[in-house]
Amino acid sequence: MSQMAVQDAPSAAAPNKDAKVCIGVKNLDFFYGSFQGLKNINMNFFDRQVTAMIGPSGCGKSTLLRVFNRIYSLYPDQRATGEVMLDGRNIISNNVDINELRARIGMVFQKPTPFPMSIYDNCAFGMRLYEKLSKSELDDRVEQALRKAALWDEVKDKLKQSGMGLSGGQQQRMCIARTIAQQPDVILFDEPTSALDPISTGKIEELIEELRADFSIVIVTHNMQQAARISQYTAFMYLGELIEFGPTTKIFMDPEQKRTLDYVTGRFG
Amino acid sequence: MSDTTATAGLQGQVKWGRVRQSRRVSDKVLRVFATASTMVAVFVLFWILGMLIWKGGQGISLDLFTKITPGPGTAGGGLLNAIVGSIVLTFLGIAIATPIGVMAGTYLAEYGKGSRLADLVRFINDILLSAPSILIGLFVYVILVMPFRGYSGWAGSVALAIIALPVIVRTTEDMLRLVPNSLREAGAALGAPTSVVIRQISWRAAKAGIVTGILLALARIAGETAPLLFTALNNSFWFNWNLTGGISNLPVTIYAFASAPYDNWQQLAWAGALLITGAILALSIGARSLLNRK
Repeated sequence: MSQMAVQDAPSAAAPNKDAKVCIGVKNLDFFYGSFQGLKNINMNFFDRQVTAMIGPSGCGKSTLLRVFNRIYSLYPDQRATGEVMLDGRNIISNNVDINELRARIGMVFQKPTPFPMSIYDNCAFGMRLYEKLSKSELDDRVEQALRKAALWDEVKDKLKQSGMGLSGGQQQRMCIARTIAQQPDVILFDEPTSALDPISTGKIEELIEELRADFSIVIVTHNMQQAARISQYTAFMYLGELIEFGPTTKIFMDPEQKRTLDYVTGRFG
Repeated sequence: MSDTTATAGLQGQVKWGRVRQSRRVSDKVLRVFATASTMVAVFVLFWILGMLIWKGGQGISLDLFTKITPGPGTAGGGLLNAIVGSIVLTFLGIAIATPIGVMAGTYLAEYGKGSRLADLVRFINDILLSAPSILIGLFVYVILVMPFRGYSGWAGSVALAIIALPVIVRTTEDMLRLVPNSLREAGAALGAPTSVVIRQISWRAAKAGIVTGILLALARIAGETAPLLFTALNNSFWFNWNLTGGISNLPVTIYAFASAPYDNWQQLAWAGALLITGAILALSIGARSLLNRK
């Protein structure tokens, strides 16, 4: 084992061996027009565990993430074939209601995406779509979500102010609050800290660690230390293929594939 | 480190005076021409404004806003009926054009992205944007004046709406395109259908820009004369909310009065021109500051 690998020694909690499969991916191919972005992906994501996806730019990790809530369906030239099972349904088949799916699988993006409305309305956006809640229930859920996102104390006196006026880190936590307020099964994070400063990054990482108690989490990251710090499972992808998937400890300390070892020790990528 | 070696290498090779004299001269010539052209354009603009304020300012009085247009050879009079008529025609035109224009612009930016129909609509809209306004006046004359055997306020409003429409379509589309796609994705990721994303996110994010476009369209049609000549024509009597007859309005009144032999008519034409220019200027500045505030 090389010295570099020791530096990245995983510090997150050990994986729960009894965790159920939450998303099961089988023979998944993905195409941007005629370009194949994902090649025959087979892997399982586990319930209430953090799975990190790492790999060099363009390896397909974000593409895979965008399959899970079918956000790619917004673009007519993108399509996926194969099987992605969530709760007994193949979510990439046509008989799934995309909007219902997206309410069950939340997503947090690389850059904070505050909507041009108040902090309160940002947080209530998802709940107002599919739930009939009274004003007080809505108030409660907004407060809960903001507390879980560790933002409540900073914004409780200015819920009516625009969400665009918050700092970048606060905006990102508001987006997380907005997502968890909807009580999804899974939360997808697409490089959620790459546009943030180190302090905000630290807060988001702590948050993800806490959210694991309630949600299954998939996070795409460019930062291998981050993957080692917060995930129980890690998938290493390269050129649209899944090279290796396993407990984070194993991927970072004792990977089976040479390419994985080279990548986690910083020899390429 | 590589920087210092590169500089050292350059110091050995580059001599002063490599820029030829002709380059400096052409630079100066271009600068002089550009500056002079700007000054000519600005000078003409200020000349027009100055003359308007000088000649029109003399006609600004309380009578202008309280009395109706005088008959031939009658002394005094004002522009009250023309001012009210112009405001009614212009706002009615905008009221017709805004919903159609905003929805069409929304189609182009949100639903029709990349589709053939959208390309066609955009192309036709661009043609309409530069269509001579007299042509639009004639068109409305044929479809709304001839069949009803009479000039009408409605016909005038429709003509103005057709002129405002492409401006609103274009700005709405452009402003919606400025809304980052990541916002739409974020809305969709929460399970919002496209219609909700458009209404609650895209429109909201582009609101200032879209309103600016509507204000600019308002400014554009406030001074239009040609389309009104064939449609609303004029009316020298008090404005009576009857839009099925001819309606007095500032541009046509200016057109008629400026070429008349009566001094008080000519004075009123100048005053009316100043009023319109002031209103358009105010609308443009308002639109601009609205956009900057965002």
